[in-house]
Amino acid sequence: MAILEVDRVSKSFGEVQAVNELSFAIEDGRIFGLLGPNGAGKTTTIRMIMGVLMPDSGTVNIFGQPYSVDAGDAIGFLPEERGLYKKMKVIDTLIFFAEIKGLSRKQSLKPADEWLEKFELAEWRDKRVEELSKGMQQKLQFICTILHRPKLIILDEPFTGLDPINTNLLKDVMLELKQGGATIIFSTHLMEQVEKLCESICLINHGKSVLSGSLPAIKAQFGRNRVRLGYDGEAEFLNDHSLVSAYDDYGQYVEIRPAENVSPQQILAKAIEQVTVQSFEVADPSLNEIFISVVKN
Amino acid sequence: MDKTLSLIKREYLIRVKTKGFLVGTLLMPVFILLMTFLSPIMAKISEKASKTTNVAVIDFSKQVFWTIKASLSLDKRTSQGLPLYNMQRVEATPEGLAAAKENLSKEVKDGKLSAYLIIPADILEKNQFELHSKNISNFAFNQAMEDAISSAVIKARLQRSGLDADLVHKLNRRANVKTFKVGEEGSKEESGAVAFFLSYAMVFIMYMALVFYGTFVMRGVIEDKSSRVVEVILSSVKPHQLMAGKIIGIGAAGLTQLVIWAIVAALVSSYGLLMAKQFAPAVDKIAIPSVSIWVYITFVSFFVLGYFLYSTLYAAMGSLANAESEAQSMQWPVVIFLIIAFMLMFAIMNSPDSPLAVVLSLIPFFAPILMFFRISVNAAPVSQVLLSIVLLAATIWGLIWITGKIFRIGILMYGKRPTLPEVMKWIRY
Repeated sequence: MAILEVDRVSKSFGEVQAVNELSFAIEDGRIFGLLGPNGAGKTTTIRMIMGVLMPDSGTVNIFGQPYSVDAGDAIGFLPEERGLYKKMKVIDTLIFFAEIKGLSRKQSLKPADEWLEKFELAEWRDKRVEELSKGMQQKLQFICTILHRPKLIILDEPFTGLDPINTNLLKDVMLELKQGGATIIFSTHLMEQVEKLCESICLINHGKSVLSGSLPAIKAQFGRNRVRLGYDGEAEFLNDHSLVSAYDDYGQYVEIRPAENVSPQQILAKAIEQVTVQSFEVADPSLNEIFISVVKN
Repeated sequence: MDKTLSLIKREYLIRVKTKGFLVGTLLMPVFILLMTFLSPIMAKISEKASKTTNVAVIDFSKQVFWTIKASLSLDKRTSQGLPLYNMQRVEATPEGLAAAKENLSKEVKDGKLSAYLIIPADILEKNQFELHSKNISNFAFNQAMEDAISSAVIKARLQRSGLDADLVHKLNRRANVKTFKVGEEGSKEESGAVAFFLSYAMVFIMYMALVFYGTFVMRGVIEDKSSRVVEVILSSVKPHQLMAGKIIGIGAAGLTQLVIWAIVAALVSSYGLLMAKQFAPAVDKIAIPSVSIWVYITFVSFFVLGYFLYSTLYAAMGSLANAESEAQSMQWPVVIFLIIAFMLMFAIMNSPDSPLAVVLSLIPFFAPILMFFRISVNAAPVSQVLLSIVLLAATIWGLIWITGKIFRIGILMYGKRPTLPEVMKWIRY
């Protein structure tokens, strides 16, 4: 069953068409990535899902109905522009946001402390929000988003501003929440997280969906073989267009897109002739490459 | 409803728990106490602490000096019981006047004399004397000299006409006013000036409280909006719940403060006065007028109604602003009503039961100030008070409907501040 359905939604601000006939659906219990370059319309789309903005045309259905505050109790929302009450204590903040989602103080106190522990914020429990660093405030706001155990979690750029350790922590928590039955939609332009987390994605550019579906299916669609080669020496064959149609140099290795009807073995044979091969791998195209090639075209 | 309660609770606690609230709540009564008791005491003390002042007198008329010396040494005394003004007679001939003046001026400059007076021979006809001093704007001193010499001159004239000066003085006594306030418990002695000061103070507190807490509502709305908390909150509660939470929560904090002040005021006017009398007998002379329970009740009622009236407007204005820095300009269209009402109070002060006063005080935007002022000076019949309350409630009802629509759209609008025609369009939809 689709827990969230966005159907031919459009929104423009004056002359600018921010979102144009965008459609996608999210199945229950999945993690869904809403991808796109800066200014693609991700935040506008999420604001329309949350009823913060009204679409000019098209419909958004959550749990089979248009957005309403009552449905909001089953939703956790982390907006792109973070905001907390600076003067409130950390624990009071958590209880307040749980209360406006329909939880009682009693119900929220224990999980609040557990989450603070998990995100290493326990010692800040009785401090004011303004005393926290930006990264800590971000973690606190994430806890506010999920404290009431929402069925649908909507995160706008959840990873921005987090260090690698906290990024990993957040990723693990998202997987945990998914195992607990939650559906998660998040927007990002960090492909690494998407590859680790998402089952399906929608890539938008200039307000339009340019690529959507399950991640394996999309990769299969771009399913030409990629060769990742690590080497020492002068690899002149990379510029031989009968053999290599394109390549990206990542420093440690190059990712090679073979020319038509050229097998990885032929490239390996050529490489052994010219350079010292240190690693060789046949792989799917990375999401990063797909992202760049789709957005650039 | 539970969610609105959480919002109210947050708004209330976040304000009541601040140091500023605590300090403001406690300092205001202390300040009032100081003003009430200390200022007359200080005045008494400064009067008594003064030293004897030396005044030289050249009396060409030969009829005034002894009379004023006697009357001044009887009336005015320093704290040590010495005469306040030490009057010294200086002999001089009209020809030697210039030299005498030069001499005395030198003594004034040296500080040996505070002043010297020259009383001409024809003072009984010309009614004028000269006062020479370094400080000629000491009004208390000038007044004392003028009073003393006037009485002396009158006495001399009466004697010259063969009348009994003491008898004429008795016959001439002025009548002094003694004011009584007609209230619930019948007629009661009370100082008119103090009673006026008290109702002025209460109206002023009402005015300040409305401006103060209304601005709090507006700033709260702007804070939510500019910190973007509002996006999360409005995914959980409806805009009208947020607006109600803000207004009721902040209003409750304001009411808490006013109730504390009222309790302090009531304690002061009953027990505090007794205590103060023990320590400072001078307090005896101040008549602390009582505030009737009716004034207390109407104060709270008109504060609550006025607060709802103005805070809904403040909330709507706040929802149109983008940043805290815009608050100043956004509050003007609202606060101007309160300022006009406050100015009108001075206009109707002298005839608070005139038809103009009645009409102005019934206008809902002015009622919290003007009707309450009329109540506090006992000029508003109960029927008018009730009518005013009904009008206020009806206006609030309509305003909530209009401002609610502005708030709902404004609170999520970022970027350019909407124009007046745009806002009018929101109201119509």
